[in-house]
Amino acid sequence: MDLERVQNLTDVSEMQKALEKLNAEEIDVDCELNTLLETQASLEDKMITLHRTLPNLQMLHTDSKQLSSMVSFTSTLAENVSSKVRQLDLAKNRVTSCIQRVEDILDLKYCTDGVQQALQNEDYEKAAGHVHRFRSLDENVLRMSEIASEGSSLDTSFRLLHESEDKLRVIVNTKFDASVHSRDVASIERFFKIFPMLGLYEEGLTKFGKYLAAKLSEDADRNLKLALHGIDPEDGRSSVIFADTITKLFEDIAKIVEIHQPLVETYYGAGRLVILVKILQKECDRQTRKLVEEFRNKRDFDLRVQQVQQSLMFHKQPAIEKPDSKDLDVLLSEIVLLNTRTELYLRFLKRRITGDFELAYQDEEKRNEKSSEVDKFIQSCDTSRLMQELIGNYIMMEEYFMREMVLKAVAMDSLDTGSPTSSMVDDSFYIVKKCVRRAMSSSSVDGVCAMLNHACTILEQDFREVLYTRVRAGFPSGFDLTQAYNMVIQQGKSSDTEKAKAQFISTLNNAEVSCDYCKQLKTNLEDEVSKLYTQCSDQSNAKLESCLSDIGACATRFKDVVEFGFSQMTQSVIKPRIKPQIDIFLSTSHNISEDDYTNFEANDPWVQNFIVSLDNMLGSFKDSLTNNNYEMFVSLVTAEITTQLEKSVQKSAFNRLGGLQFDKELRVLVGYLTSVTTWTIRDKFARLTQMATILNLEKVDELLDYWGPNSGPLTWRLTPSEVRQILGLRIDFRTEEIKRLKL
Amino acid sequence: MEDYKYLFKIVLIGEAGVGKTCLVRRFTQGLFPPGQAATIGVDFMIKTVEIEGDKVKLQIWDTAGQEKFRSITQSYYRAAHGLILVYDVCSQRTFDALPQWLTDIDSFANEKVLSYLVGNKIDRGDAREIPTHVGEQFAERYEMKYIETSAKEADNVDKLFLDIASRLTEDARERNRLIPGEDSMNISSNTKSISSCSRCFKF
Ligand SMILES: Nc1nc2c(ncn2[C@@H]2O[C@H](COP(=O)(O)OP(=O)(O)OP(=O)(O)O)[C@@H](O)[C@H]2O)c(=O)[nH]1
Ligand SMILES: [Mg+2]
Repeated sequence: MDLERVQNLTDVSEMQKALEKLNAEEIDVDCELNTLLETQASLEDKMITLHRTLPNLQMLHTDSKQLSSMVSFTSTLAENVSSKVRQLDLAKNRVTSCIQRVEDILDLKYCTDGVQQALQNEDYEKAAGHVHRFRSLDENVLRMSEIASEGSSLDTSFRLLHESEDKLRVIVNTKFDASVHSRDVASIERFFKIFPMLGLYEEGLTKFGKYLAAKLSEDADRNLKLALHGIDPEDGRSSVIFADTITKLFEDIAKIVEIHQPLVETYYGAGRLVILVKILQKECDRQTRKLVEEFRNKRDFDLRVQQVQQSLMFHKQPAIEKPDSKDLDVLLSEIVLLNTRTELYLRFLKRRITGDFELAYQDEEKRNEKSSEVDKFIQSCDTSRLMQELIGNYIMMEEYFMREMVLKAVAMDSLDTGSPTSSMVDDSFYIVKKCVRRAMSSSSVDGVCAMLNHACTILEQDFREVLYTRVRAGFPSGFDLTQAYNMVIQQGKSSDTEKAKAQFISTLNNAEVSCDYCKQLKTNLEDEVSKLYTQCSDQSNAKLESCLSDIGACATRFKDVVEFGFSQMTQSVIKPRIKPQIDIFLSTSHNISEDDYTNFEANDPWVQNFIVSLDNMLGSFKDSLTNNNYEMFVSLVTAEITTQLEKSVQKSAFNRLGGLQFDKELRVLVGYLTSVTTWTIRDKFARLTQMATILNLEKVDELLDYWGPNSGPLTWRLTPSEVRQILGLRIDFRTEEIKRLKL
Repeated sequence: MEDYKYLFKIVLIGEAGVGKTCLVRRFTQGLFPPGQAATIGVDFMIKTVEIEGDKVKLQIWDTAGQEKFRSITQSYYRAAHGLILVYDVCSQRTFDALPQWLTDIDSFANEKVLSYLVGNKIDRGDAREIPTHVGEQFAERYEMKYIETSAKEADNVDKLFLDIASRLTEDARERNRLIPGEDSMNISSNTKSISSCSRCFKF
């Protein structure tokens, strides 16, 4: 508050306000002053202590100065010492490399003498050893260290060594070729080991590889000739003779790799096995091509492929000559065997080359690069390509085979006594499983996935379509199923309606078990995949998993058929059978006297007959339906009864005894239905039971004993207005009373 | 239960070398692979996208264009919700092959499949052999959607896949509205239509 404003105040009340404010401020200032004065004593104490420590601080100051000068002195000293040590180190290194060089020069002289001596003695290993040592020396550096002028002793040594090296190369090459020519295995291996000492890695491995490949080719030619000669239909293996022969080829190559890998790694170092393998693979490709060609010839492969293609394209024309299913079956089994052997072999090669690279390269990136090179090499070799073509044709023929066989199973469908399903379900699923499993044994992930897809198509489309069409034909009404069923089975002759009924029921069953079969098929195949395809990539596993889950999902498509079939049955069987019985209920009075009530005890007016007729109907279906379908049937019958009965109750009039009578009837009915099914019935009758409770009351307000807070475990399925409506059915209850109820 | 509302299968087809694999890798991994090798059989990738608040999982099947894999790749057509037929705008040959691919689609795919025609490699401007309007007209004649892309420059690639995803999602929502409650007993008498819709949903 500033003074000027106070002076200018004219209004008394304002002055007073200002005064009050100033007083308050004064009190505040006093308080603050007091606190400050209080602290004065302690501040003075602190000052005294500080004064006392002052001399100490001065001492500390001088001490630190001294220390600092000492440290800097020591540091200079250390610097001096260390630079001397560094100089010493340098000198020592120079001495070492000097000694090294002197040793090298001595070695060089020793090599020069040695190599000539060794060459003279035909001790090529020793000569190569000298050359190898010489090759490890740095010629340029050595030449610098001497007055390496023309004609100096060092220069002569170098010249001599170079000459010897050249000579040795020529010798090793010729000797190797000669040994191959004379089939002198020991010498071949001897010279094979010398190549790398002369730095001739590629050359040595190529020569050796060609030698091995030539041997391989001879053996393979002989084996193939033997196989072609020996196709003897009596022999159990004759149907897979080509698979057996290709297996021999692969085994031979694997053996060669197995034996020579240690040799290559020891003498040529890690990372070079691939050179040898590539040469062997070239021969393998050549042999595989020959073998596959013979296979196509001898097995009429191309003809069969063509036949299948034509039947697929013009399947409506009967004139087309179809391939024989049995022959096809045998052929398909051999193809998958050919492929699985190839996969096994190629996996072996990959493992070996990758293992060798892993020894050679520590760097992760380099390894990955090499590994993808290996993948590329293996995927694009002719052997792979040939198999890809075979598998392509195989899938087409396997699909054709599967469809033909399923269609045959459908065409030859028959119903056996004691079986709720007809033969086409078991037969069709058996075929589908067989075909997919055969595809699995090919080790081709894409092949398996394709067959799984085709299996889905056949089940979901072709096979389901048959069931669906039969169900859509509907269940003929006016029935006596037991008779129809027996006649079809026993005499094979019966009226068309009876046949139609039996077929409808068996189709319903077929569809129902098909749901389960789909799930089973999925589980079985899944198990098998997890056993057979253990070393797949994540990508392959994801593919398999997705295609397998589609097979499982086929189940829902069959469930649709079952549901559709039951909706047909509800219309043509259940509704017409329940209706007349419920009508009897409607026409039976529930407004009854004491005498009536007692009389009913002995001579039941409705429910007993109803149960007998229900039992008849259910009984006639029980044996012909599968368990699940029977339960479903009972459940639908129950649903129909409850809806119709509810409606009828709402159209009837009751007195107390009538209500009691209805309650009794309901209990008997629920008891019966519960006894014929394992599914719960009581829940379906909840609303009716509650209606019975209401119709059974002594007085209107008694309802409140069951309502609201008093309902206890009971959950009302009736709305308040429905409750009032039911109460209204009691002729002895007064409308005003019902209206007055607080619900 | 996995965290998605709809699952759709999308299958890419077309002549070898038109860039199917590159399109898929551009979309799923955001890169243009140098020296992409020819696909062997079928490759499989997954990508989940969000369409108007719903997680939509796309299962993408990248098929090999080489003839010898045809019997394998054709087995994927039927279950596909979306088919992407790709050609190379710089190669008349790949464009001329389209009718044969359409015949295959007709024979093997579901009739309600959503199909897209894609002209790829538009980044190679000078080398182009098929003008845009020719591709467009072709697509229109066969009632396909048309889009031009470059896997290399990432042009229209995301748009292509997201367009398909949202169309399929829209269709699925529409069907959900028409047939709420999966276990309804009323099955339409047209089998084909059931088979085409009940497969789309997976909750
Ligand atoms: N300039 C350009 N090149 C592309 C484009 N897309 C793909 N390529 C190149 O086309 C070649 C083939 O691509 P891929 O994706 O392997 O073709 P694909 O259709 O998968 O071939 P297949 O697997 O054999 O059916 C590769 O060399 C790619 O680099 C593009 O948009 N622009
Ligand atoms: Mg590709």
